[in-house]
Amino acid sequence: MPEPYKRSRSLRRLQVKVPGGRISLHYRNRKPGKAECSNCSAVLKGVPRERSLKMHNMPKTKKRPQRPYGGNLCSRCMRSLIVGKARS
Amino acid sequence: MIEVGRLCIKIAGRDAGLKCVIVDVLDDKFVLIDGETRRRKCNILHLEPLKETIKIKKNASHESIKKEFETLGLKVMETKPKPKTDRPRKKRKTSEQLRTRKEEKKKLRDLFTRKKEEKVEEKVKENEGGSLEEKAGLVEEKKKTESKKDKKKDSKKEVKTVKKE
Repeated sequence: MPEPYKRSRSLRRLQVKVPGGRISLHYRNRKPGKAECSNCSAVLKGVPRERSLKMHNMPKTKKRPQRPYGGNLCSRCMRSLIVGKARS
Repeated sequence: MIEVGRLCIKIAGRDAGLKCVIVDVLDDKFVLIDGETRRRKCNILHLEPLKETIKIKKNASHESIKKEFETLGLKVMETKPKPKTDRPRKKRKTSEQLRTRKEEKKKLRDLFTRKKEEKVEEKVKENEGGSLEEKAGLVEEKKKTESKKDKKKDSKKEVKTVKKE
């Protein structure tokens, strides 16, 4: 019987091919959810889905698109926001 | 709406939300812009035209646009020009260069061979000078060390005194 923490589904399972050729089960921490637009809740592109340690070591330019509201709003919402400001 | 001198706001890319002016209309899709944004070609769909216009000539220089923008109270983005660098190309060496290189190599070779020879000679001299005495001393020491391990220094002195006598 595997240990209790391995029996719960809090860890994700990876099938890894070991050097001997056998396939073994490895347990990893789950990744966070996909980043979403705060206005329309569409999935944001260009925002990586990694655990905090990897995100820490990543350069800032790889973590979000380089435009105003990048990483918070999708490009459509950002565009409509700017256009609205310009017209008002 | 799209004409030379029209003020616009860029709504796409890293310069989004910045004001710019149309400098040239390239075709029915693209225009050349300058101002708070970089001076660059831009799609019309990525621009939101404003009501205001500026009096500038077609293909006006960056400096003239800077002056116009300063009157409006806006800053202009300054881009650093890239330093011109030549493409790295391999040059063939002339015969003279090759000759000098060969000579230098020869000199170096001679130096190393000389040093090696000198070292060998020194070693030979060292081995020759006082080698017999040392060997004799060592032999005697060994014999004495076996018998008296505690008093090594004394044994050496004794050996020397024995020789003198």
